[in-house]
Amino acid sequence: MPRVFITGLGFITSIGNDATSVTQSLRELRHGVELYAPFQSPEIPVKVAAPVRGFSTDSTDPEDWTFPAGITIKREVLRGMSPHVVYAWCAMQQAIADAKLNDADVSNEGTGLYAASGGSPYLMGHMLERMHKLGVMRCSPLGIVASISGAVQFNLVAHFKIKGSSCGFASACASSSHALGFAYDDLALGRQKRMFVVGAEDGNMDAILPFAGMRALSLSADPATASRPFDTARDGFVGTGGGVVLVMETEDEVLRRGVMPYCEVAGWGQASDGHNVAISHPEGLGLRAAMTLALRATGTAAEAVDYVNAHATSTPIGDASEARALKAIFNPAGVRPAISSTKALTGHGLSLAGAMESGFCALAVRDGFMPGSAHITNLDPECEGLNIIRSTLSAQPKVALNNVSGFGGANVSIVFKQAR
Amino acid sequence: MPDAVQSNPGTSKPFVAPPKPFAPEDEAALREALKRCSPSAFESAVQYRKTGNPEHVPAVVIGVIERFVEPDLRIKLKDADDDLRLIEDLGIDSLTMMEIVILVEDVLQLSINNDELRNLRTVGDVKTFIDCKIRGLSLPKPTKFLPIEQIAAVMPIQPPFLFLNEASVSSSGANGKYKITGQEFFLQGHFKNNPVMPASIMLEALGQLAVLFLLEGATPEPGKVISSSLIYFTGCEGVRAHRVCRPGDILTLSIKPKRMKMPLATFEGAIRVGQEKAAIAEEITLTFGYAEAVMPLPMTELKDHVAPKAGVLDASVPATPLRVAVNA
Repeated sequence: MPRVFITGLGFITSIGNDATSVTQSLRELRHGVELYAPFQSPEIPVKVAAPVRGFSTDSTDPEDWTFPAGITIKREVLRGMSPHVVYAWCAMQQAIADAKLNDADVSNEGTGLYAASGGSPYLMGHMLERMHKLGVMRCSPLGIVASISGAVQFNLVAHFKIKGSSCGFASACASSSHALGFAYDDLALGRQKRMFVVGAEDGNMDAILPFAGMRALSLSADPATASRPFDTARDGFVGTGGGVVLVMETEDEVLRRGVMPYCEVAGWGQASDGHNVAISHPEGLGLRAAMTLALRATGTAAEAVDYVNAHATSTPIGDASEARALKAIFNPAGVRPAISSTKALTGHGLSLAGAMESGFCALAVRDGFMPGSAHITNLDPECEGLNIIRSTLSAQPKVALNNVSGFGGANVSIVFKQAR
Repeated sequence: MPDAVQSNPGTSKPFVAPPKPFAPEDEAALREALKRCSPSAFESAVQYRKTGNPEHVPAVVIGVIERFVEPDLRIKLKDADDDLRLIEDLGIDSLTMMEIVILVEDVLQLSINNDELRNLRTVGDVKTFIDCKIRGLSLPKPTKFLPIEQIAAVMPIQPPFLFLNEASVSSSGANGKYKITGQEFFLQGHFKNNPVMPASIMLEALGQLAVLFLLEGATPEPGKVISSSLIYFTGCEGVRAHRVCRPGDILTLSIKPKRMKMPLATFEGAIRVGQEKAAIAEEITLTFGYAEAVMPLPMTELKDHVAPKAGVLDASVPATPLRVAVNA
């Protein structure tokens, strides 16, 4: 089977709008959480979020939006977009440039795009309100295209003239890892030679606040500690948005183009809890099975794993489940790989999470560091026996594992290895 | 133009003036809706909403179209004649057309059916369409665009004496173009070593466009078809040439019917080269007659009042460029 490598990355995230600033934030544990202006009214108990910076997408009219210097999007392109599509569009341009792809490399039948997002509740809500108020024929003609959960791939596939496989994945917070996993399969099976993997979320009020109803959000008003996975006082996740794009290519393409990959994607595993629609299995059975399958599929011993980027979102139940799953994998082998949750810095990106944190793993493997798990004051006793690193290590992980878990008990684990 | 507007029951309902007076909140909503349009479009919309006077409508419609046209193409709208094409000249695609319609519906408080949009190909079509909607009139026949092959197929006049390269015909008139190639046989002698398009031939070209109008644009009495072999020139008035036209010049011709009563049809005509006036004819009068075989009058025809013609003409009706292709 062809080996698969990551050759390009693009980031629009709460901790940086390019790979350089993201790397710096990860190394220095700089978080992207702030007192989020739209939440600062008395009737909203949630106060913090981790919005992307430099973009203003508050209006329901995309022509009102403003972007960081150097980014212009024509009206006819913009009209089919929601905020997360704009972020993904910018990340896509970065990733293409980073991978040194020319137009022909991007647009051919061997190059596809898999994506994940939760759509745009914000624009969907606006459109439905308009429909109820003004009548069905007064909705924006592209309102659907801009707001349903496929919006990101509809736009990117059309505007970047993608000719290969394309589709979207909907497994909530596991979505973009599923996209990455199935992109890997298409490459390993010889169906495609290059895949773009995209994760994106609006990360604004309408995308984040509905999670308050299930008591999943942190009510902390302190941006510096609100997101604190594995800490005893964790009280929920902090919402974020953005767009991340990874370029994955077969070994043949890497050699043909003569580019230096970030790392190898060795393979992946997935398994489901079969337990609860929204709550992870208390013992983390699905996640444990996903890690087991990922290690087995890639011929990786638990002892070989140097770093785990945990899913841990800073919710009381979820982090404990994952800790138990991790102990079940690594304790019997008598090893203690470095483990951290970068969600302490970024917040939880929902559908974006898997792609974003896979991108972080690629940076860590190439640049030789393991980002610390920030904001832990008192480590949850549940983590005893695990090496939750509180600060960044300057050592190159040869093998890194990225975990995600989504609603319905969907779990995905991906294995990254140093490119050789 | 007594025949310009056909009765076409069923597709257009008379416009009912706004039931409640124009309130300050309506003005605010209008300002918001038209915030990316020119101030004059907004002012015209306010005036229309306050008075119901249709004279304000064209400025609103042009303002809305302008707002959706890419900035570098907007200049074309400044001195636009009604022949400016939405798709070809302004780059408006079917989705943008929907956006234009939705905004026009919103600010003018009317509703437009998808079916009604299909035949709107020029700025003039849109203006006429909205005007008819607001006045409660039925819609005119759609503008037909005829390339040279279709012109030659219907005209009794043929090369080398046919002076139209392309034409558009609506119920209110016809427009055409002819490029003077320099290869025209008469230019060899007109004049010696100095090829100049004869003014008489320019008048002929206008006459030919009028013939095309009678065959393609005019609405004859129900059940009758104008015969292409019974149209002849009878006279003209007020013909003046303003500009010498030479090889390389593109003549832009236009005619409008002034009077039409069997067997006479009188037109006014003008020729431009770019923005320069080249020639005018205050009146050109043709005679015409109906074909002997009276067309049967099927039910569908009664309903639509569109006389079917020879099969070749069916192809001249443009496809439906404004239908939105939805892959959902």
